[in-house]
Amino acid sequence: MASSRKITLRSSDGESFEVEEAVAVESQTIKHMIEDDCADNAIPLPNVTSKILAKVIEYCKKHVDASKAEDRVNDEDLKAWDAAFIKVDQVDQATLFDLILAANYLNIKSLLDLTCQTVADMIKGNLFPVRNEWLNFTFSIANRELVLVCLTEWVAHRRLFCS
Amino acid sequence: MPTLVNYGGEDQFFGGGSLCTSSIDLDRLYSMGSSMDMYCPPHKRARVCGSYAVSSYEYEGEHLSSIEELPDECLFEIFKWLPGGRERSSCACVSKHWLFLLSNMRRTDLSGEVDKSAKEDKETMTSSSGDTEMVSCDVSGRLEGDGHLTRCLEGKKATDVRLAAVAVGTNGRGGLGKLSIRGTSSTRAVTNIGISAIARGCPSLRALSLWNLSSIGDDGLVEIAKECCLLEKLDLSHCAFVSNKGLIAIAENCRDLISLNIESCPKIGNEGLEAIGRCCPRLQSISIKDCPLVGDHGVASLVSSSSSVLSKIKLQGLNITDFSLAVIGHFGLAVTSLVLGGLRSASEKGFWVMGKAQGLKKVSSLTIASCHGITDVSLGAIGRGFTNLKQMCLRKCLFVSDAGLITFSRVASSLENLQVEGLDRISLGGVIGVISNCEMKLKSLSIANCMGIKDLLEGSPVLSSCPSLRSLSIQNCPGFGSASLAMVGKWCPHLEHVDLTGLCGITDAGLSPLVENSEAGLVKVNLRNCLNITDEAVSTLVRLHGGTLELLNLDGCRKVTDASLVAIADNCLLLNDLDMSKCGITDSGVSLLSSAGHLSLQVLSLAGCSMVSNKSMPFLKKLGGSLIGLNLQHCRSISGGVVELLAESLWRCDILS
Repeated sequence: MASSRKITLRSSDGESFEVEEAVAVESQTIKHMIEDDCADNAIPLPNVTSKILAKVIEYCKKHVDASKAEDRVNDEDLKAWDAAFIKVDQVDQATLFDLILAANYLNIKSLLDLTCQTVADMIKGNLFPVRNEWLNFTFSIANRELVLVCLTEWVAHRRLFCS
Repeated sequence: MPTLVNYGGEDQFFGGGSLCTSSIDLDRLYSMGSSMDMYCPPHKRARVCGSYAVSSYEYEGEHLSSIEELPDECLFEIFKWLPGGRERSSCACVSKHWLFLLSNMRRTDLSGEVDKSAKEDKETMTSSSGDTEMVSCDVSGRLEGDGHLTRCLEGKKATDVRLAAVAVGTNGRGGLGKLSIRGTSSTRAVTNIGISAIARGCPSLRALSLWNLSSIGDDGLVEIAKECCLLEKLDLSHCAFVSNKGLIAIAENCRDLISLNIESCPKIGNEGLEAIGRCCPRLQSISIKDCPLVGDHGVASLVSSSSSVLSKIKLQGLNITDFSLAVIGHFGLAVTSLVLGGLRSASEKGFWVMGKAQGLKKVSSLTIASCHGITDVSLGAIGRGFTNLKQMCLRKCLFVSDAGLITFSRVASSLENLQVEGLDRISLGGVIGVISNCEMKLKSLSIANCMGIKDLLEGSPVLSSCPSLRSLSIQNCPGFGSASLAMVGKWCPHLEHVDLTGLCGITDAGLSPLVENSEAGLVKVNLRNCLNITDEAVSTLVRLHGGTLELLNLDGCRKVTDASLVAIADNCLLLNDLDMSKCGITDSGVSLLSSAGHLSLQVLSLAGCSMVSNKSMPFLKKLGGSLIGLNLQHCRSISGGVVELLAESLWRCDILS
């Protein structure tokens, strides 16, 4: 808020991104690096590609702006933006998983929650997909024993609460 | 709607009955089709159809940045958001890796519904205790049920995979209350991983029983201790690697422990017991058997600290000395049931002090087995000191003689039930003495395997009658013959239950005084293997006691023939359990029995009656109207086909053949 210091983030493929400090510290990892005074030059992020870093920055920017706005952006609007951001047409699953990895590495809780919840919803919607363009679960037949065991246990417990 | 009815017949499910109802909508699974066959025929093999197999293989070729490449911590974050048990169970089916990841998630780690409800009704959240464990993961907001389910995993089912599946299945659902795992000596499939999964998934576990699991150790128990704070009963048997560390962890965290049972755990010793004594004030029942490291220190500190409520103590095969007995004698103020067996290091003095200490005034049931410290002197002290003793059982205490037993029965003023077994120094004099001296309170006397008893040779000693004795059982004492029985029978007029199993020496003449003198009416008579009993004795018996006789066992009485069945049919009104195994009865006897309209037998055994043939089938069918159990084993003249026909028509009856 006070200082609009610019921080430079360098992705794994060498591209540099300049962002405001407020945006950068959405990431706890970066925040700690700044506090430890490692941020004089660019902060290298060897685990994040430029494509993903761009998306992450877009997300953080939006969330920082949303909390800063004079008339606070409606929670609903922000949620809608998040949904659009993560919407599966635009984000292919490889990107989605990379976003998860990045959010985990950069320790951005809200992004991590958003992406993980999305995947969880996708799992919920498609348990044993045959042809699924977004998810590629490989269920080997060797797991049929597991299937029997797990579903039996679930059925047994559900039976009690069925009525 | 497809059902899983035939699967898992071995499992014990709390509710019983069939496994599945049509409301299960694992639609996705079934929409895969009829191709993915979940019906398990009784052979219990799943058949996954070929077409499914093919389609899953179509993906093998491409390189995918698949979800499985995510590190565990990211998968964990994803699983956190899975909304319900069904999704979690389904994900657990993907691979063992996912199964174990999911099974290690505690209920508090799941944020699925909790967060949503947090945003929707913040008021409810703040008004509750704020303890996330209390908040339900169910959208309807109802609180978790607290542990209604019981699972018992035996043999091949005792594996880590199964335990993890149980943990995933119950997580967020209502909780496992009672878990038993029965391994075999070669079971390696249950390890600390499985136990930890249960610990995290089932925090409402109340009773845990682990038998024969040599591949679990302290780490598993420590996890249980950390997560399952409501644990009330713990049962460890033959767990070779569980040591004091695990037991101490349980003691410190499971303060509500009520019952502890440890058998053959060679690494558990005094420190563990001392911790239990110190930390578990609600402990009511303790049983320790065959643990070589357990000694006086452990037992004494256990008994003396939780003295306020400890009511059942069982110590068997331990190296404890007189000191422990003295401590029990002084501090066992609430003890009602005491079992001491195989205490090799305890001497006469210890038992004597235990009796003298006057602390065990509430003990109503005492069992002492194989303790050479029980002598006439110490037995007497116990008889005097245990003022409330109602039931006493002495087994293989070879130093007890007639005098000791008689004194005991005289001074134990509350004694109602006395059982002695394997006391070879007892003679007939001792039996007579007990009966005469029983102070009018003894209701039940049982003598078994006492080889020192020899038959009465001359005269008839003066006995005072024992009107209180209701049940007399003399089993397998080969020296106890007709003369002795006749004499005993004369002095016990109110007998109702008589068990003379294995007394091959008795004859009709020996039995008749007992039968004739019984004023109250005999209810249960067991003459198993009394080879010399004939129809005459049986006829007299049923003639005099037909109005009260409910159970008659003539197993092995070869001289008994159809004439007895005639007498039974004529005289017995209340008989519901009849055993005529190996008797000399034939089809006509069975027919007579079936024609007795007033008889409604519930249990009938004709095992080994080779003269009963297929002709008896209609009679058995008639009897079967009331039968719930029928034993036709070794009936050589009855063919298998007839047995099957009988089984079909007597659907309520359990037929052994």
